[in-house]
Amino acid sequence: MAMRIRDNVPDAERGRECSAAIGALFTGVFTMLDSWRTAVEKAGADNATTRIDSLVYSLVEPELTVADPLVIGAGFIAAPETALSQALHFAWWLGPLSDNPLLGTTTKPSRLDLASREYAEYLRDFRAFEWYQVPETTRAGHITGPYVDHLCTCDYILTLTVPVGVGGSMRGVVGADILVRRLEPEVLPLLRATESAIALVSSSGRVILSVSPTLRVGSIVSEASAASRGWDAVPCPGTQLKLLMGETI
Amino acid sequence: MSSELAPQPSSRGARAAVFAQLSGAGRSEQVAQRLIDAILLGVLTPGDRLPSEAELAQRFGVALVTAREALSAMRDAGLVETRRGREGGSFVLPVSRAPEALLWARLRGLARVDIEDSAVYFGVLSAGCTERAAELASDEEAARLRLWLDNADFAQVSDAARNAGGFYLEIAVISQSPRLVREQIRLQAEFGSLLWLGVADENLRRNIYGQNVKIAEAISAHDPEQARALVRGQLSELSSWLLAAKERIEQ
Repeated sequence: MAMRIRDNVPDAERGRECSAAIGALFTGVFTMLDSWRTAVEKAGADNATTRIDSLVYSLVEPELTVADPLVIGAGFIAAPETALSQALHFAWWLGPLSDNPLLGTTTKPSRLDLASREYAEYLRDFRAFEWYQVPETTRAGHITGPYVDHLCTCDYILTLTVPVGVGGSMRGVVGADILVRRLEPEVLPLLRATESAIALVSSSGRVILSVSPTLRVGSIVSEASAASRGWDAVPCPGTQLKLLMGETI
Repeated sequence: MSSELAPQPSSRGARAAVFAQLSGAGRSEQVAQRLIDAILLGVLTPGDRLPSEAELAQRFGVALVTAREALSAMRDAGLVETRRGREGGSFVLPVSRAPEALLWARLRGLARVDIEDSAVYFGVLSAGCTERAAELASDEEAARLRLWLDNADFAQVSDAARNAGGFYLEIAVISQSPRLVREQIRLQAEFGSLLWLGVADENLRRNIYGQNVKIAEAISAHDPEQARALVRGQLSELSSWLLAAKERIEQ
């Protein structure tokens, strides 16, 4: 992908190409999620059935088991069956894992079983999670994170979610998790192909990865702080992510 | 779970660990403690048949009489019942009948130095998580933490214990460190139920909630020193309560 960035153009132009390439990486995942959304919507109203579970598994399994998968976990999280219930139905799978602190090493996708996560019992309503709440409110795709996912992977990830709905009613979200670690070999070469791209940050300015040792993963660069350091925030098209460009100190 | 799925992890491993060999003094207490912990952690569940005295003795590497004493102590504590006959043996009773009694038995079985050390370790880990959270929280994360705490019930003993632990896990998540989160989960599984025994005390329960509100405010205000001091204070109060309770029941 670094090939897309030309070296015979001004650096501002390279920055735009870099942000476009990052945008394309995530847009690819959103396109996949849109196709899952369509398939789940077509499957009809009965959310929490084994039929929807096996449909979702058939959608996510190829993505999770491909060599060097971009996506570490994926699936459909269904809205509560009735207005009285808060219970979400998780048709969610994790790809094969090496040395996961919760699940050890697995060679096949394993299903998220929240009942086995006893430490999560203090959570009352999973709809309050950003990955559910924001798409529910905006009815648009959303990138949550980077954040520590303590329910599923126990790792530092981005979660992409897209709302599923029929006729205006919220039926849940389809989503995919990407390890921040997995993004480094994809995105760092893009940043390095420019003179002045410093870091990829989330919509709230949280650093996903950076080429500057003083700008740490997980720290937040506010708009004011970026401006005071003379950094430009270039949006990555199709995402809420931004590329910080400028001189590092 | 559908058929494509991998089997659930580690329950065999956890069972093996329950029956690993013991060394040192107080072996019958150690045998009982290991089995009590296994029941508390759900590795042994109600209705499970424990190995026979002879099997226990062999697996733990203790004398037959030691295994017999351990089973007898557990029977006295109402944790297992022993049935005679061909279908006989010692069976785990439902924990829900006496979870408090179990924890008190555990408190009695732990040395003061180990209680203090566990509280120190949990306190240092949690203070570190809180310091990082105060440095790194986004406005949204801080607001979510306060909202969660506003709606968290600290009035009932069982809710208070669960939510007191959940609060520190949420803070670990905001610290942005997967390692700190995993260690919080591990440590709370090991020590949490004991640590939160103090929430049985209404005053302490109220103090903890009040401190948690202040901790959440310090995180929102990006005040790591204040957040850290509050966590250390809370843990000190909890461990003092545990040690005082232990002294009361052992007098």
